[in-house]
Order: sequence, then structure tokens, then C-alpha cells
Amino acid sequence: MTAPSVRFTDERLANGLRLIISEDHLAPVVAVCIWYNVGSKHEVPGKTGFAHLFEHVMFQGSGHVAKTEHMALVQAAGGTLNGTTFFDRTNYFETVPSHQLELALWLEADRMATLLDALNQENLDNQRDVVKNEKRSSYDNRPYGTWFHKLGEHLFPPDHPYHHPTIGSMEDLDAASLEDVAAFFRTYYAPNNAVLSIVGDVEPAQARSWVERYFGEIPANPAIPVLGDMSLPPIIGAESREVVEDRVPLPRLFFGFRAPVLGDLRYDALEVAAQILAGGKGSRLYRRLVREERIAQDVAFFTLGLTGGASLVAGHATARPGADLAALERGFEEELERIGREPVTDDELSRARALIETYEMESLQRVDERADRLSMYATLLDDPDMVNRQLGRYLAVSAADIQRAAAEVLRPDNRVVLTYLPLTETATGTTDEETAA
Amino acid sequence: MTLEQILSARPSPGRPRTYEFPQFERTVLPSGLQVLAVNLPGRPIVAANLVVRRGASDEPAEIAGATVLAARAMTEGTQHYPGVELIEAGERLGATLHVDAGWDAFTVSVDVAASRLRAALELLAELAERPTFPGSDVARLRDERLNDLLQVKADPRRRVDRAFTAALYTADSPYARPAAGDEDTVPRLTPDVLRGVHRTVLDPHRTAVIVGGDLSGLNVPRLVGAALGSFGAVESSAGVEADAGTRPPRAASAVDRPIVRFYHRPGSVQTELRIGHVGLARRVPDFHAVQVMAAILGGLFNSRLQMNLREDKGYTYGIGAGFDMRRGPGPFSVRTAVQTAATVASISESLAELRRMRETEVTAAELAAARDYLVGVFPLRFETPGAVVAALTGVFVHDLPDDELTRYRREVEGVSVAAVQKAAQDHIHPDRLAIVAVGDADAVAADLESAGFGELEVITEEMPADAEAGETQEEAE
Repeated sequence: MTAPSVRFTDERLANGLRLIISEDHLAPVVAVCIWYNVGSKHEVPGKTGFAHLFEHVMFQGSGHVAKTEHMALVQAAGGTLNGTTFFDRTNYFETVPSHQLELALWLEADRMATLLDALNQENLDNQRDVVKNEKRSSYDNRPYGTWFHKLGEHLFPPDHPYHHPTIGSMEDLDAASLEDVAAFFRTYYAPNNAVLSIVGDVEPAQARSWVERYFGEIPANPAIPVLGDMSLPPIIGAESREVVEDRVPLPRLFFGFRAPVLGDLRYDALEVAAQILAGGKGSRLYRRLVREERIAQDVAFFTLGLTGGASLVAGHATARPGADLAALERGFEEELERIGREPVTDDELSRARALIETYEMESLQRVDERADRLSMYATLLDDPDMVNRQLGRYLAVSAADIQRAAAEVLRPDNRVVLTYLPLTETATGTTDEETAA
Repeated sequence: MTLEQILSARPSPGRPRTYEFPQFERTVLPSGLQVLAVNLPGRPIVAANLVVRRGASDEPAEIAGATVLAARAMTEGTQHYPGVELIEAGERLGATLHVDAGWDAFTVSVDVAASRLRAALELLAELAERPTFPGSDVARLRDERLNDLLQVKADPRRRVDRAFTAALYTADSPYARPAAGDEDTVPRLTPDVLRGVHRTVLDPHRTAVIVGGDLSGLNVPRLVGAALGSFGAVESSAGVEADAGTRPPRAASAVDRPIVRFYHRPGSVQTELRIGHVGLARRVPDFHAVQVMAAILGGLFNSRLQMNLREDKGYTYGIGAGFDMRRGPGPFSVRTAVQTAATVASISESLAELRRMRETEVTAAELAAARDYLVGVFPLRFETPGAVVAALTGVFVHDLPDDELTRYRREVEGVSVAAVQKAAQDHIHPDRLAIVAVGDADAVAADLESAGFGELEVITEEMPADAEAGETQEEAE
């Protein structure tokens, strides 16, 4: 197979908007993807969940677009769309038939320029309710639903911005005001804080002139605050454990580790390690704990790339009924320790490489994926060409690289272990006749 | 021009590029197995899918779950590749081999670089034709399924899905049960039962191999013929009814008047809701009108249900509605999770939207929005070989005309306001709705009772205790 070759231009408008255009006429579709360099890491105590609530407000209308009309216009144009928020960033994207590109650009420009013209208390209150229901349905009413929040609390100190979850707390969501929304918008939703990628069936000169037309006059914010130092010691220093009682029938162990930031070669090595540890039926953890010892119902191990001081690596194993939880934990930890102690075999490494290669090539077939990655690498690493080099970096990871990175990261004094246990009856406060479901 | 002047002029669309669903070439091998090849230049990762018109709805009730378990067990070892060796051999090609079974069909699939298609097809053939179903691994997978059923009970959204279909269909319909089997049937699924299921799958006359991607320089029928020319020739599917795999299963409604089943989960912060009835089979004659109608009701982001319950009331993060179309009539459902205090109001609003869909015509703007979306998004759906192959798999499974996908956009464009209303009146039945919920009954039961949505039944379940289920004996092969 040949390496990815995503050809693109990378420029800045006078107001600082970074514009990346990549032409590909294979299908009559075009993806527009705008990343704002603002996420939940920019939130301050008492205002958690705000970046994400704001993302919802971005669909409530702007100067020339009515409430929810953004969705209506994109869908009527035959397009798909959404927005997401995470620790490091907020993104918005549309994929449309190529003759509708100008509409997508206009919609993004209108809300970047004039969001506050449409902002009102009723819409904010409505989206606050929607977000609270999102929190209930995605976390609070889900078995094991608190694991990610708890890992963040253990892995990052209380004064670190990754300590609190992106969804925020109910109290803070309640406290968000119109003034907060306006201030957040004025501070962060400026062209010089955004990367706009356009990928697909596009004529670059035409696209550039539309971008100039719709975005070119939006004023920059010369005073975007610089985030404080987020650097962290490379390891947490001592194992951190918590037992959580939840409405679950089977115990589940979650493991978390502080890891090098996105862009660090050791992070790439950990991604390959994760494939060898838990990527499919031939992987180490699956083979040992699910197939052979049969003490786990399922296993997982994965990386989550971040830029602010540390990334995280996490995994879990669900215990089979009656399984010895201590043996399950020991088995999981032994495999993590082993991959840091001895090199993976040539066969394991070549299988992992081949799978990653297919996966990457498959992902990059889609224009929306390419647009997302270009904006991501530009926003987080100031290096959009990583879209072409990332696969090569994975394939260059050696057995020694994996061993070294695993030994540095997957160690007991850098480990968080959450043990989810079925609620005991005393904890539910119910009687025999009325056992909780 | 000022920024205000620039932004106040809405752009109009350019001229659309023409788009046609990619053409495929059909070859029938001497065995009767069909090969569908679709060339997609510039797509280096090829998707290949062996599909058999034989699914979970074709199995006898007493071994419900056998087809799904057989699919899961096939990657546990084959004649020439014991254990996970076949999976590993695939990985060396950068290929992940999948075996899946649903209600209607059984599939063995792989995504692989075009240059390695030949080797991948050989592995796919080995997997499809020669699984060994080792007793010890089958026992483990059975236990995993039983354990998963415990997890279903604990997860409100999975619990409500299971309770909903159990409420809709009579017990003699396969659709009343989970496709992967339940606590009664899974313990019966021995290796011999799975081997029996596998034999029924080996029928070239009900099988197609569908391959899509950049096929330049590849003779797909020859490659498939070399790998799978004898598929079904060794172990015949003798004893299988000739029309199994094309005949819709029994799927009668168990509901003849509105009912409410509320599964009590004390302290729930939300109520998981499903509202619906027995719906439609895929081969419904007014398929395209139904698609447009369902988009307006609960498919679009700005569907009537979303605009009402999310964007106006804020009761939910999201609400949708639609028809799960199978070979037989799968469920029609409204699906959402709402904050506990809004449970009764959410049911009322959902029922009102269902009635309004039947009673009043959609506006021209609503029709245009749905139609334009379905027509416009069509090319976006088929950017990758995997998506094209999946769509052709559906055409084969449901025995649809060869031009089903090429005429899709024309058909949708032809749907009228009257056709949408007729589809709603014909296919939405407020007089036999099942309303099934998982939530805090203490908080809402009194209001539910007085709302009078239908006969109310509140069910309190015991939480499955640790270490009781999910252990069956291993057995020798």
C-alpha cells in the first residue's frame, strides 16, 4: 500500500483565520470542519460544562439564521452536521453535496460573526435543559457511567483543567448566564482562534474567495487569553484506587494512566501497544483473560490523546460472575507489566502494523475524516501535514519503542484502579420484598 | 460591502454534479452462488461480504439465538486454523474478518487492501465453510451471552428495548425474543446445534459474495470462484425447507389496545421510553413514502418530535422515530430518554405527534425538507466501499430489484403530500400502541394512571445478583 497523500494548502486570512483546502473530486461531496481552540480546559471553577453548553447555543440561531435553522438548511441541502466538545477543543462540521459548499461556509461565518444577535434567555434555558438530559442519558443513567469522570479526578490534580469532566456539573450548568455566554463568545469565537478545513470536491480558488467574502471581515480578538501552564509530572506518583458501588450486575475494573501528550513518539508507541494488548481476539489481554482463564467477560485498552501536560491511557475488564476479582486485576496488570519488560514478538508487531495501516487508509477515504484530522493537527500540533505522516510514525514504532514507553507509563505508581461493584442491599436501603432493579 | 450586508444575502446552491449509484456486475457461479462486483476507482481498501439469506428469524423457537451464536463461534477455530490462528492470519494481511448474523441474513466479511484480496478471500472461505465449533469455546461464548443478558437488565436502554419487543409480538414470533437468544434458549445451544445451523447456511443458491473497491486488474468472479467455488457443495443444506430465507417469519401483534408497561427502577433520573407497534417489512410497496413520512415525524434533526420535545420543551437530549424494516414486519417505535418529571408529558406529546401525523397533511415545506434531505444525502452515504457493499447486501437479502438503489432518488422525489399522509394513516396505529418504560415508577405511576394512556402494568424486577447466572458446564467436542 502507498502512504496517504493528502495534498492541501495552508494559509491565514488577514484576521488570523487559518484556512486549509484539500481538493479531491472522487465523490461529489465536500466536508467543512472548523475547530475552535477552546475546550473544557478553558473553564474556571464554578463554570464547568460551559464550553459544551456553548456548543449547543451555536445551533440556536445567529444574526441571519433562526433557531435550529442551521440544521434545517444543512439537511435540506442534503448534508450532515454536528458539533463536539472535549477537553482541548470544540469543533463544528458539515458534509454537503459539493454544490452546497457556499451555504455551509455562510452558516459557519454567520454564527462566528453574529451569534450574539440571536442569543436570548429562552434559548439558553432550553439548551441548558437539553444538556442536563444529555448528562443524565450519557452518564448518570448508565451502568458504570461515571468511570471517565472518576479517572480524570484521579489522574489530574484538582487545580488542573482536565480534572473536571467536559459535561460539567448540574449546579454549574444552572449557574450559566447570558453574560457568561456573551463573554465566552467574544473571547474565544474569533477567527484567529479557529482553523477551517475544506476537503473534497472543491475548486480551491472559488472556495478561497467565498471564505474571504464571508469570514474576511470578522474582527480578530487581539487579546485571546493564554492558558496557564498545564504541565504535569510524567507520572501520578503513587497508585490511586477507588471502589464504586453502582447498579451493575457484574464487577468491572477500570485502569487509567497518565501518558505523554499527543505528538510525542511515545504516545504513538502506546497506541501500537494498545492494539497488541486488546485489539481483537488475537490480542494479549483478550486471549489470556477472556479465552484462556475465562475470568473476564470483555476487555479493552486504548489511548486518548491530549495536549495539556498529559494524555491518558485507559482500559477495563468486566468480571465473569463468580470470578476472583483479585485474580482478574492481577492478570490485567501482569500483561501491562510484561509489555514493558520484554519486547513484543515480531509477529505481534507486524500484525498490529498491518491492521493500523488498513484502518488508517480506510478512515482517510472519507472527506469528513480528512477535514477533521487536518483541523485537529493544525489546532493541537500546529502541523496539519501530520495527516500524511501519522501512519508512517505508527509503522516506524519498534518493539523497543513499545517496551520503553510501556515501562515508563504502565507502572503501578502511575496507575488508577476503579473497582465497580454491584450495589449491596444495605446501600440501596430496600427490603427483601422490594429489591431494586 | 459591510459584513452585515455580506451576511444578510443567503447563498444559493450551485449546479449539482450528477450522481448515480455505482453499477455492479453480476456473475453466477456454476454452484448457483452469485458474485456482485462494483468497481470504485480510487478506493484502495476493498470490502468483501459473503451474505446468506438465512438469519435468526429462520431458526426454530427452541434454539433461539443459535444463528447469532454460530456466527460468534465461527471465529473460534476452523479445520486448518485452530483457535485464533485464522484471525491472526487475517491480521497479517491487515484484515479483520467478521462473522455476523441478524434477523434476515448471515454475513462473513472482510475489508482489505485490493492487492491482498485473493489471500483474504481464501481465509474468508475457510471461515465460512470449515468452522469446527470447539465445545469448550462454545460453552464460553454461551456463558458470555448469558452474562450479557444480566448486563441488559442493568442498562435502562437495553432493558427497555428488550421489554418493548417482548410486549409487541406474540410469543410464537421470533421477533418477540432477542435475536441472540434468551435465558431459556441459550443453554441449549450445543456445538451440534450450531453445526446444524451452519449446515443450513451453506447454500449457494441463497448466497452472494459482494465485492466493492478499486478492482482494476482484478478478476473478481474468478477470485471468488477459486476461493468459494465449492461453497455448499460438501455439506449440503438437505433438510432445510426450500423457501426458508425468503419467507417472512410469523410476526403477529400481541397488542390489540393501548397498553403501558412500566419497569420500576427506583431513583432513576430519567425514563427510557419506547412507544410503538408491529411495523413494516422491507418490501412494503410504499417504502419511499414511508421513508419521507418517518423523516418528518422522527428522522430529521428538526423532525416534529425533536422540535417539540427537545427544542421547545427541553425534555430530552434526543428523540427519534422510525420503522425497523426486516424480511417480516419489524417494530415501529418512538425512542427517547426523558427526565423523570417529564415522563407523562413526554408520552402525551409523543402521542399527539403520532395523531397529528395521521390527521393533518404535512406542509409543503416539511415535505420539501425531508425529500431534499433524503435525495441530497444519498451520495454522501456511499462514499466508501463498505457502505456501497452494505447497500447491495440489503438489496440481495430482501431480493429487491437490481435498480432499487439507482431509482431511489427518483422515487423519493415523487412522494407527494397525499402519499405521506396515506403512509401515516396506513402504518401508524394509535389504537394498538405499546408504551414501555424503564424508570422510577414511584415518581410517576399516579400521574400515569390518571393520564389513561392505556392499561397500566408496573413491574418491579429483582436486580440480578452477582455469581448466579452465566455458568454452564463445559462439554467435550
